[in-house]
Amino acid sequence: MYHALLTRRYLTSKVMPLLASLAVVLCTAMVLITWSVMGGFLRMLTQSGRSLIGDVRIAWPNVGFAHYDDLITRLQSDPEIEAATPIIETFGMLTLLENRTDGVLIRGVDGPSFARVTNYAETLWWHPLEKPLSKDQEGLDVRLDTHNRDLLAEIYQDGLRLKETDPATGGLESSMVLGIEVGGWNVRTDWGGYYPRVQGIASAAGAIQNRNLFMPRSGALPLLVVPLDSKGRPMEPVTRTFPIANEFESGLYDIDKQTVLVDLPALQRMLHMNAAKRLADPGAQEPTAGFFEDEAAPAPVVEDPARVTAVLVRQKNPNGDPDRFREHCRGIYAEFAGAHPDVPSAISIQIETWEDANRMMIEAVKKETGLVLVIFTFISFTAVFLVFAIFWAMISEKTRDIGVLRALGASRAGVAWVWLRYGLAIGVVGSILGGLLAWGIVTNINEIHEGIHQSGQWLGDSLVGARLSSWFGWRRPWNWYIWDPKVYVFKEIPHRIEPWKAAFVLAGGLISCLVGALWPATRAARMHPVKALRFE
Amino acid sequence: MTGPWWPRCCSVRALRKTYRLGRVDVPVLHGVDLDVARGEWIAILGASGSGKSTMLHLIGGLDRPDKPRNGNPRAEIEFQGRNTVQFRAAELDRYRSTQVGFVFQFYHLLPELSVTENVLLGAMIRLGRLGYLRQRAPLRRRAREILDAFGLGDRLRHRPSQLSGGERQRVAIARALINDPAMLLADEPTGNLDRKTGGRILDVLAKVRSDGGQTMLMVTHDPEIAARADRIVHLIDGRIAEGPGDPA
Repeated sequence: MYHALLTRRYLTSKVMPLLASLAVVLCTAMVLITWSVMGGFLRMLTQSGRSLIGDVRIAWPNVGFAHYDDLITRLQSDPEIEAATPIIETFGMLTLLENRTDGVLIRGVDGPSFARVTNYAETLWWHPLEKPLSKDQEGLDVRLDTHNRDLLAEIYQDGLRLKETDPATGGLESSMVLGIEVGGWNVRTDWGGYYPRVQGIASAAGAIQNRNLFMPRSGALPLLVVPLDSKGRPMEPVTRTFPIANEFESGLYDIDKQTVLVDLPALQRMLHMNAAKRLADPGAQEPTAGFFEDEAAPAPVVEDPARVTAVLVRQKNPNGDPDRFREHCRGIYAEFAGAHPDVPSAISIQIETWEDANRMMIEAVKKETGLVLVIFTFISFTAVFLVFAIFWAMISEKTRDIGVLRALGASRAGVAWVWLRYGLAIGVVGSILGGLLAWGIVTNINEIHEGIHQSGQWLGDSLVGARLSSWFGWRRPWNWYIWDPKVYVFKEIPHRIEPWKAAFVLAGGLISCLVGALWPATRAARMHPVKALRFE
Repeated sequence: MTGPWWPRCCSVRALRKTYRLGRVDVPVLHGVDLDVARGEWIAILGASGSGKSTMLHLIGGLDRPDKPRNGNPRAEIEFQGRNTVQFRAAELDRYRSTQVGFVFQFYHLLPELSVTENVLLGAMIRLGRLGYLRQRAPLRRRAREILDAFGLGDRLRHRPSQLSGGERQRVAIARALINDPAMLLADEPTGNLDRKTGGRILDVLAKVRSDGGQTMLMVTHDPEIAARADRIVHLIDGRIAEGPGDPA
């Protein structure tokens, strides 16, 4: 009973334990905030990676596999599967403005089914916007313009189906959707949006004409691919100019910089992966002609079914175990492969989850998160030393009290428990307050961030700020965006407090205090009662 | 007052204690023998450094006597038929909390606790959490009664820093009495008080003894204060020399 009484009184009547609690509060909050933001960042990256892959990818790269329609039918008849879509993944060369040529990852997709399997519809950038992005407080986003609403709606629909209406014929024309960073003509703003660049072009007469580089309006770019035959041998390169239907932003810079989406049937034709009658062996020598024309041996021709390099699958349960779902898909593929001898076997085919597909990126971010956490945990160990130092000093100050407790019959263990309990109380108070502080900061991190930015702006606009800027020649000293949307892909700081992480950090704070209190408590317990009573 | 017919409370035999100061052994007690009758008030009178407090600490179980060496006999502190020198640490803790009440020269009240809490501290230690919670009401009543009897009924919620020296010492006596110990050990209880206040404290101790029948060992260097006791034991250079105040 006296332990509780003394703990309560020591905790409320001294400044030093309050300082120790404060240290624990700050350390706990620091680690939890870091973990939550890094965890949110990792989650955002993985979700972005998932946004264009779906849950599972069944792939046979480059050459592709046939009868994919049957596979998709089998997959879609499974109760666990929401949808499946065929795609082709290949590489090619995109000729940009002024004949700049970039290597790109080309994905041939069937727009509507691709949107059912992935979050493609949400990634399309150009669409009418009802309300501005959170940081676009002045409403500068061109997508908000009500005059362009119909046009943007049309562009959005074109992007979804990867087809544009040909003004000449009125029919639908296969088109291309580019990653928002592919062309380099979209300028990222400090509120996390884009506006199309305007290019000044000098005419022969010397006048400068402005050219709007908003590509979905009227842009078209040539795309070059190298088809492979069914045996994987390269064939003549094929170039086709596609109109730009829209642009997408996946949230991953690498994907947005290097990926273009093309209407699947058009890419199949370019890559000779569409259904057609073809020479059985196009690489073989031409048959030798006989003396008479009708004596020439005809080249063998086969019915070549359409092929794709992958089928993407989305499961009904968005939180289902991806590894289990992958094996489920493998089972369905095995049945499919059993029915079609000309497709890769279930053992050879690549079946991977979206996590497998993005493993390099996910692992890198996980390692970074771990590294940051280790560094911050080491920093947090200062709390251990702080508690240790404060307890050591307090025990020196309370030596006589310890002697009194022993004189009144308290055991060594009892005296030690007074101090351990005291450390525990500091840990509990510090950890809980630290957890609450972290929760408050993390859940309002974007508002806090914005507040910091606006304070900087206000200071910069003030007389003092203007004077300081002119004295020191500062150009942008008042832009206090720590995570500048112009630099980072995310518009808002990602965050996510997970209960188990919070519990882990809070327990860490508690254990740190116990560890810090352990040695001083042992010292208190080992004090000789007579020496303690005579201590001056 | 002591004799073979008188019920004995405590008996000390061959009590030796040596302190080590750096590399030098400093003997403080050189084989002290003392019999204390139940309900007796003994004053241990001696100059500074004569070993008075050391003797009190050994009897009270705060310290242990020297182990026998150089042919010296083994020290014994017999309390109610048991040799406390042989007690293990837990037994000694129990002995201090149940049988002994200490009163110190400098009161040694815990500054963060109120008067009542200081008094109840010994009971909390003796009974443990559950035991104390079960008996909290009667214990608080008893603490209040003792403090009322000592004229501190209006100081129950005060902190030690808000009390005078005499009041603090009365609180310390109340704390020593809360567990109703068999023996009260007072180390210069008036040493930090003026004569008038010290006299009042001695009155309190005398009343405690007469009301509760506690055995009292009081250490002092003042013969006038010692004269209030039933018997005076002179401690000179770590040896007992029974003085003229001894009624036996």
